Amino acid sequence: MMQNMIFRVNVERCIACGKCELACAFGHGSEGRPAATRIHIHRRGPELGTPVVCFQCHEAACAAICPTQALVRNPVTGAIDLVVERCILCRMCVPACPFGNMIWDEPYHRLAKCDLCGGAPKCVPFCPTGALQYVPAEQAAVRPEPLLERAV
Amino acid sequence: MSTEATGEVTVTIDGKAVKARAGTFLLEVARGAGIDIPTLCHHPALEPYGGCRLCVVDVTEKGWDGWCKMVIACQFPVKDGLIVFTQSERVLETRKVVLDLLLARCPETPLIQNLAARYGITETSYQRNPDPTDCILCALCTRVCDHLGVSAIATVNRGIGREVAPPFGQAPPDCIGCLACAEICPTDFIPYSTSNSSRTIWGKTFQMLRCPACGRAHITVEQARHFAGKGGVSESYFTLCDACKRAHMAATFQRLQQVPGVSALGGR
Amino acid sequence: MRIESLAAFEGYVEDARAKFATRQSEVLVCCGTGCLANGAAAVAEAFAAALEGTPAQVKTFTKRTGCHGFCERGPLVVLRPSGVLYTKVKPRDVAEIVEKTVHGGTAIPRLLYKDPASGQRIQHYQEVPFYKHQTRVAMRRIGLIDPTDIDDALAHGAYRGLAKALTMTPEEVLAEVATSGLRGRGGAGFPTARKWRSCRNAKGERKFILCNGDEGDPGAFKDRSIMEGDPHSVLEGMIIGGWAVGAHEGIIYVRDEYPLAVVNLTLAIAQARDRGLLGTNILGSGFDFDIRISRGGGAFVCGESSALMRSLEGKVGEPRAKYVHATDRGLYDLPTVLNNVETWADVGAILEHGGAWFAAMGTEKSKGTKAFSLVGKVKNTGLIELPMGMTLRQIIYDIGGGVMGDRPFKAVQTGGPSGGCVPEALLDLPVDYEKLTEAGSMMGSGGMIVMDDRTCMVDVARYFLKFLTEESCGKCVPCREGLHQMLLIFDDLVAGRGRPGDIERIERLSRGMQLGSLCELGKSAPNPVLSTLRYFRDEYVAHVERRECPAGICRDLTTYEISPETCDGCHACFKACPVEAITGKVKELHVIHQDKCISCGACYDACPTHAVRFLPKHEMAARGVA
Repeated sequence: MMQNMIFRVNVERCIACGKCELACAFGHGSEGRPAATRIHIHRRGPELGTPVVCFQCHEAACAAICPTQALVRNPVTGAIDLVVERCILCRMCVPACPFGNMIWDEPYHRLAKCDLCGGAPKCVPFCPTGALQYVPAEQAAVRPEPLLERAV
Repeated sequence: MSTEATGEVTVTIDGKAVKARAGTFLLEVARGAGIDIPTLCHHPALEPYGGCRLCVVDVTEKGWDGWCKMVIACQFPVKDGLIVFTQSERVLETRKVVLDLLLARCPETPLIQNLAARYGITETSYQRNPDPTDCILCALCTRVCDHLGVSAIATVNRGIGREVAPPFGQAPPDCIGCLACAEICPTDFIPYSTSNSSRTIWGKTFQMLRCPACGRAHITVEQARHFAGKGGVSESYFTLCDACKRAHMAATFQRLQQVPGVSALGGR
Repeated sequence: MRIESLAAFEGYVEDARAKFATRQSEVLVCCGTGCLANGAAAVAEAFAAALEGTPAQVKTFTKRTGCHGFCERGPLVVLRPSGVLYTKVKPRDVAEIVEKTVHGGTAIPRLLYKDPASGQRIQHYQEVPFYKHQTRVAMRRIGLIDPTDIDDALAHGAYRGLAKALTMTPEEVLAEVATSGLRGRGGAGFPTARKWRSCRNAKGERKFILCNGDEGDPGAFKDRSIMEGDPHSVLEGMIIGGWAVGAHEGIIYVRDEYPLAVVNLTLAIAQARDRGLLGTNILGSGFDFDIRISRGGGAFVCGESSALMRSLEGKVGEPRAKYVHATDRGLYDLPTVLNNVETWADVGAILEHGGAWFAAMGTEKSKGTKAFSLVGKVKNTGLIELPMGMTLRQIIYDIGGGVMGDRPFKAVQTGGPSGGCVPEALLDLPVDYEKLTEAGSMMGSGGMIVMDDRTCMVDVARYFLKFLTEESCGKCVPCREGLHQMLLIFDDLVAGRGRPGDIERIERLSRGMQLGSLCELGKSAPNPVLSTLRYFRDEYVAHVERRECPAGICRDLTTYEISPETCDGCHACFKACPVEAITGKVKELHVIHQDKCISCGACYDACPTHAVRFLPKHEMAARGVA
């Protein structure tokens, strides 16, 4: 029986170093364009930032709008994964996400979103302050949403 | 898509035993087992079309005494005991004829040139199209448009005159400018232009749905209208662009977080 | 007036029979589309007027019937009860016929059929070879009844099969059809009972009975004649089919180019409904069934069953994958039986006389009778119905009267664009599904195009390729691109632009099309090519390697000259030439001027002394003659 993991963001700890953005961009493509990151640090001042990343919503608007069911829940990681073979690049998911976490990657002409790197998010080990954590649900201060329903 | 039987079955593909769910199409089963069968008109997001005929394979069953029939893998549902040959002589011969014909039609299209070359064909044995085109008539564009429920374009005319076109060759009234047709086209045949302010495809120009805050746009106004309500996502979701939504999200978090030296209402 | 029960049906039919039996004299005027085009309507009017006006002891009725079949000799008139057949009747002949034959009882020789072999005039249509050898089942009432009068049809046996079927269980009806050995008459020859049984066994409440009236083969018109001449035979068969499989809805898909068929079918449906033979509670059996008509849009491919169903659904007529059987998921993805017009026309007779009766005719694997359209270079062109198993020789010579102009027979094309050519050596082939397929041809819908020595087999193949190129739906690569490229090769062959390797390219492309095409249109498109290659390969070789057309037909390869030894100056060629390319005075040697000659061969056909001969253009050019 697997543990359900939660990607927890402690916004108070974010020092806006941007290492998570680099780790994400580098981790998803060999060219490592920093702009291709799926986690964004909203900078408010020196060493002051707020990370914004896909919430892997319980009832995801992106998955609901997708006409080819290319956005589906990964039963192992709990993330909403983009199935590239079924994506027809209509870009509806971009404006559909209420939080702006679906990215249109223009240079690579593709959609991109946080997929928790398949279960070992690369940004987590790079975060120097532990603002980003990938912890078992029990350890998260916040009680997770209906746990069993996540692993769909 | 399954038929009545939904149990697990075993099929033999090129001598290799492969398990699959009864009724799954043979192409999916083969590719899942690492056996590649070439296709042109196939797309995992759409129903199989059966137009290119490249995925032909020979199938037989026990009790057929080795008699085979040629079927297309993309539309053939597997059943228990099916025996498949993806490289029999007549399969390869048929694929070569198909590619040879396509190369005659589209002699300057890299996708076809490369695929034909893989089967040993560098020059067509037939008459070269005096007016070369990149359109291979795979109908992926019209099929994805139908799938979206828009059906703005279709294949028109019979026989060799067949082509993809909007109704009466005019700007299609139903087109929502989603670019799905251009994106899915394997030879990039469908031209379009797009910017933050407007988009043009099939002779129709669209107004983009621009973020009121920063002016960026990803979809057209018509797209928003078409998709609003689908899957329970209302048009109100589509207003801001992603970057501005993230900024908005961050601002929301700020209001909720406690940062020493910074007022809870944000800003220094 | 509605017939409420089976018992009432018997009574009604008896009354109808009696009513028509009181008619002691009838003039049956063929008003099938062919004879109508030849002026039959005016003939019928003339008879009606003449008979109305002339007082007589015995009243003679004029009846406009469907196609009698002997289209070569139309307008046709048959007199009852004498059975006298008059051919090529004109309105101006009518007065004489009424006076001499109807009232006087004597025949008029010039209007009788003259047997080409014996030179004798034959009076009774039953003695005319064209009719003598026929066994009419599907066409049993055509030519006897007025298709617009249901009572006439009922008096002649219509719906008897249905009445019988309604006293049987659906299983019993299926068994009867199975016993008959009936196979689809549209071309594929699929066992009809097997198709019906699959549909009966398919899950679902709503099922369909479809009639394929698309008849697209060039030269085929049997379905047209049945729909025009005895629409009730089709309706009856469909209702029986519905009863057997559990369907309540029938649709007849009629090609748009058959307006008279649509008119007569529409009328027949209305009349059948009126009599309670269609609609709810048919003949008090509790069975509901109704039929509507849908017209095609002008596409040969819509004769293909899955394309036909798409067309009925309002979509473009394109075939779809064949791994799903229409009997499971057909029209609107519901269980559907689709059969050809002739098949439906046979069903009523099978139920009426029994499956064994039908199976007693024909060959081992092809039971019953088949309608054929005998056309081309044959003396007696027309529509015939014969038991399976008659030989091609019997059909073409005994019934068809032999090749037109007594020219040498070369080949007979059977099965339309999906079929092939059968050469002289195989003239004794018994006609059935298996034998024709073995010979490289096909039964198809029953078209038989007779060809003489003045036929180029390469050109024949090209003709069918041209037809199919225009009719291909274009969805799949092998058919769309393959037919296009094949036609280009043939265009080159007949124009003298053949290249080495052309025959091999044709053969390879043919195999690719046969194996790779989506539907039978593409798969069978190479048949005319392959069968002409099989039996007349030398003609292909001549075209490719020597730029010659051995039959002297291909104009770019052939030219004509007049031999001084045999020309007697009769001037016939001069008169025949459409472009004034021949000069010569009467009783003097005539000359063909090569710069004007278009190689049409009219002079060749006209010359009574065989002084005109054809030769390859390159041979003429080699002589340096202008």
